[in-house]
Amino acid sequence: MTEEVNKADKVVEIPMTLEIPVGPQHPALHEPLLIKVYAEGEYVIKAEAHTGYNHRGIEKLAEKKSFYQDIFLCGRVCGICNTVHADCYVRALEHILNKEPPPRAKYLRTLTMELERLHSHMLVLAVTAEIVGFDTLFMHMMRDRELIMKAKEIVTGNRVIADYIMVGGVRRDLNSEKIDKLKKILTKVEPRIRYYWRVFEEDVTLNKRLVDVGKLTPVQVTSHGLLGPVARASGVATDSRYHDAYDAYAEVPFRIVTRKEGDCMARSLVRFEEMQVSLEICRYILNHLPEGEAVPDERRLPRRFPEGEAFTTVEAPRGELTYYVMSKGGVNPYRVKIRTPSYNNIINTVPFYVDHTIADVPAILASYDPCISCMERVIVVDLRKGTRKRVSMRDLARGDV
Amino acid sequence: MAKIPLLKEVVKLIFSKPATIQYPREETPVEPDARGRQYADLNKCVGCSLCMIECPSKAIKMEKIPEGYEVPKRNARKIYPVVDYLKCIFCYRCVTVCPTKAYVMTSEYRLASDAPVNSRELSLSTLKKASQEPSQGDEEG
Repeated sequence: MTEEVNKADKVVEIPMTLEIPVGPQHPALHEPLLIKVYAEGEYVIKAEAHTGYNHRGIEKLAEKKSFYQDIFLCGRVCGICNTVHADCYVRALEHILNKEPPPRAKYLRTLTMELERLHSHMLVLAVTAEIVGFDTLFMHMMRDRELIMKAKEIVTGNRVIADYIMVGGVRRDLNSEKIDKLKKILTKVEPRIRYYWRVFEEDVTLNKRLVDVGKLTPVQVTSHGLLGPVARASGVATDSRYHDAYDAYAEVPFRIVTRKEGDCMARSLVRFEEMQVSLEICRYILNHLPEGEAVPDERRLPRRFPEGEAFTTVEAPRGELTYYVMSKGGVNPYRVKIRTPSYNNIINTVPFYVDHTIADVPAILASYDPCISCMERVIVVDLRKGTRKRVSMRDLARGDV
Repeated sequence: MAKIPLLKEVVKLIFSKPATIQYPREETPVEPDARGRQYADLNKCVGCSLCMIECPSKAIKMEKIPEGYEVPKRNARKIYPVVDYLKCIFCYRCVTVCPTKAYVMTSEYRLASDAPVNSRELSLSTLKKASQEPSQGDEEG
């Protein structure tokens, strides 16, 4: 009997390649995106991104509506960064109309966009904390984010969708009472942000999960066209607020935040530092708000647009957002093309999941049990000859090894 | 590694007031000029239909003012805008394009109801009934 066992000349080694669908329901942030991850053991060997779950045909719809109605449509492309979308589109319209908004309106636009950057970064950082399993921090950050939402409500009249920007200015002005309220909120928020910053820098859980995970080199960032805080965390100083100097950014002092490390922790810390810069910008604007009119009379704006085209960029919280608007005269735009930073950052980072553990793939991290979709192949090792042969699953089932 | 006083924070919060608002029982504080329910004041409305044309979400329909109301003479066609609040996106474009500034702005945000949610009753309540004594013209001018 024992001799028979020793006579075994073949070992069937089955490397399990698991295909793990991450998403499309709530991969990490609550947005529909499917990242298919192929894992061998704990390590990712391949990843694919499948998009298109949230296609709403907004660009086509924009051609059907009038130039002015599209401002509200563009604001609804993204809920978190609605002001930057509206600002980018409106600046394109102003370029076609050859119109310049008054300085006070420019400052107020900048103020709302910076408030938006604050609450967007806070949301992303809170979700990061939640994904690595630090739910207490998530709750605390979301509570303090509410203060900035209140500030946005004071300025624009709504917590989330601002609908604040119009051709030639903004929709409502600030008075001294509101400015005092805003300043109070900013002084309340600043120590909280500094506190969370320290938590991110010093907490053991966050350090273990974020440091040296998902590293991107500056070469990878530039060759894959990554934008925003992702690029800045790898030391690539790209910021269209600085390059383009639109609205009041030419007059407001600020700095581009970069870090060298390029890992998940660096991206979080870049966002924290950017929040600090945003707070400084907001405070500068509230102290140096120019006098004059900011709200134009909407009834006097031209109904028909001249022929022309415009290409505008804005630094959204996630990176550079671009709009291309083409007018052939009349009331409707001929073409509105939107390119959002998330598209670059999500699709083009897919190869970089490889060689990380499954738990490091940001989407699966928190909420999904991996499900085994298929087992693709086995390897037969001939012990006598020392060769390896790949056999398909069907042949294995037939016993044809 | 330095210790973060998160535990201190948590203990402090156990004894403080909860941050959550028990919404239906407790009111959510909103700014007095937050964008809430808006409706047309029919003493000012001239029935020009501009708000209906410009509405981005097509939430406004023009309707005939029913019999039994005193309609100002400026509103020759005797029509008025009815806002469907379930379609409305509260962008307030109707408010800013109105040539007579007829829209009344409120910060009312609690619009959930069994009945159809529109501005019909609110707008008609701004008009006087014809059975009452004749009005002294349009005071808002």
